[in-house]
Amino acid sequence: MTHFDEMTALLYLENQLRPDMADGVRAHASECGECRDLLEALNRESIWLRESLEMDDEMVPARLIQVPEKGSAPWGWIAAMALGIGGAYTVWNGFIEPWRAQAAEAGFTQGNLLTMLFFSGAFWKGWEAMRSMIEFTALATVGILVLWLVRKHLTNVAPAVVAMAGLTLAAAFAAPAAHAGRVEHGSPNYTLAADQTVKTDLIVFADTTRIEGNVDGDLIVWSQNATVTGHVKGDIIAFAQDLRVEGPVGGNVRVFAQRLELSSTIERNVSAWVGNLNVDPSTKIGGSVILGTGDGVLEGSVGGDVQVYGAEFDLNGPVGGNMYVRAKDLKIGQHAAIAGTATFHGRHDADVNSGAKFAQPLQTTIISEDYGDRYSSVRYYWHQVLRWGAAFVFGLVFLLLAPTFFFDASSALNRYAPSVGFGVLFLFAVPIAAVLICFTVVGLGVGISTIMVWLIAMYGAQVIVGRWVGEKILGAGEPGMGAALGRMALGLLILRVISMLPYVGGWAMFLVVVWGIGGMVLAVNRRLHQSSPAALSVAA
Amino acid sequence: MERRKATGEMSAAELADVVERVRAGDGDAWGEIYRLYAPAIFRFCRRALPTREDAEDATTDVFMKVKQKLGTYDSSRPFQAWLYKVASNHCWDMLRRRRIRQDLETGDLETLPLEHPDPSALEKMQFDHDSKQVRAGLAKMPDRARMVLVLRYYSDMSYDEIADTLGVRRAFVGVLLLRARHQLREILGEGGGASMLGATAGGKP
Repeated sequence: MTHFDEMTALLYLENQLRPDMADGVRAHASECGECRDLLEALNRESIWLRESLEMDDEMVPARLIQVPEKGSAPWGWIAAMALGIGGAYTVWNGFIEPWRAQAAEAGFTQGNLLTMLFFSGAFWKGWEAMRSMIEFTALATVGILVLWLVRKHLTNVAPAVVAMAGLTLAAAFAAPAAHAGRVEHGSPNYTLAADQTVKTDLIVFADTTRIEGNVDGDLIVWSQNATVTGHVKGDIIAFAQDLRVEGPVGGNVRVFAQRLELSSTIERNVSAWVGNLNVDPSTKIGGSVILGTGDGVLEGSVGGDVQVYGAEFDLNGPVGGNMYVRAKDLKIGQHAAIAGTATFHGRHDADVNSGAKFAQPLQTTIISEDYGDRYSSVRYYWHQVLRWGAAFVFGLVFLLLAPTFFFDASSALNRYAPSVGFGVLFLFAVPIAAVLICFTVVGLGVGISTIMVWLIAMYGAQVIVGRWVGEKILGAGEPGMGAALGRMALGLLILRVISMLPYVGGWAMFLVVVWGIGGMVLAVNRRLHQSSPAALSVAA
Repeated sequence: MERRKATGEMSAAELADVVERVRAGDGDAWGEIYRLYAPAIFRFCRRALPTREDAEDATTDVFMKVKQKLGTYDSSRPFQAWLYKVASNHCWDMLRRRRIRQDLETGDLETLPLEHPDPSALEKMQFDHDSKQVRAGLAKMPDRARMVLVLRYYSDMSYDEIADTLGVRRAFVGVLLLRARHQLREILGEGGGASMLGATAGGKP
């Protein structure tokens, strides 16, 4: 007797055998217990599979139960975009523009923020010469990013996009280099001798740089150690570990450095982001000073305003304008003479020498970091309530304008690793990309807008996570806006309480921001995926 | 062909009327269709696709397509069958687009064991594993194997429909089904699936 195989048995059970073969199987099974057992076992397995597959062990998501409203998604997205633009406009007018105006008053009169901060016109003068792998990489990154974002629409607008992208990139590369400077690569050091004069801008890349001669244009330096004793008629722009400026400077000094020492005459302004700063008493700065410094001593004279953000700061020289210091500690020496207003925000009262002179009394605000003080303040709790309310209103608007995106982003949080991963990426990559955009292809407007979207996303993250937390506690509930709002409110309340915890609260909120942003990134990705023309190509 | 029952299912005549109203642009009628079938389509997608998120996305996409393609629907065919066809096509395309199909069509019977499975071992496996474990096992299966089991034992599709959906020859559907069963046994047996085979010697008829 020849037994039939499992394939034949299955096809027999599924009525897929030809009638004559089925008759053969039936006849054999009636005589063969072994094959009959096999048939019965396979049949039981079929039933078991059906029952297992029919078992409903998961709830249908609430958002799927709701009928998608006609046209709601695009209008929601458009409205959200409008809100975002409105928010960006508000932030610009409320924060950036006043700050820019204030900076302009302090002597920074360039056309936009970036040039105002560091580059002035010198960057563009040196553009051709500085075109290097870094710039190329930046352009390529932005280009790839743009192409990736518009890839879904390439089939429709490919010619236009490619043409525009090509023109933009070409324009970027073809940026006029009418005043290209002289570029020096030290091997490894570079020295401009005292008897030499560079008639254009001088751009130096070297381990150690010494400028003893004269530079008629701007001096731009990337160097570990740099010393300038010669005369620079333009600006000094430096990225260095240690920078000493002893020679006269006709323009501005803009510096990123670990340590900066000034002992010269600077006709215009100084802006520096440095670990340690020492401005010698002999130094004369004609314009204003803006500093971000860990430990700074300013003993020279300043014609304009002084703005300082740092840990410890000593001022011991005349200031022709206003003084604003936000630091842990401030010490004002006997030679200080402040002609304008004097404002200090710090942890302790300023240590003011009795010989110091003020046109107006020093305004001091003590910033408390003591948790005990914080928790005993009713105002603190009131602020927490207000912040909860603000987040809820934001969430309400978010939910009304873009419900699908809201639920998508919240659901995406269940994918823990991808959401956190994308959150971290977005959190750190977007500002970098925004800066690159500012520097390269499309300019400052897009870069600032990107940062605005980034800030809004950071704030919105708590709303997304709040809804997720609320749903975990209360369950999915009935579909609809009311249940979602209730869960979001509860979740936001819990997050607000967690944020109030000493020490861990800040870190917890950081995690919330990362996670929530990740959820939004996944939701955006999902939306792009859904709008793919390829996704609509299935034949029914 | 028997399909999963949708909650609050309406009669064929009522359904035909609603479909006609949707075709005429009646938004309320579309809402009725959506409310009636969205949960069922989600459940189908949940079984056919590896993650819940995928199923949610797929459900949304399926209804977008249904709305777009309703004009091409042949009303002489059962609407539910057509709907499931759209859903199964979409799920399969989704998996195929992602290029995560681990298995290739070969039509090769040699990969199947020729021995009978041990009926008592099969019975024990069914006794030892509840529905949740089976569903978890399904999620671990190669996409085509999972898909063929779902189409056959959840959606009750015919061999012809399965062949059409998966783009294989009809004669190959049985092979896919049997291979999928073996893979599921292997997964549930945590590698001990071989113990279900060979206990009874078999041969070709």
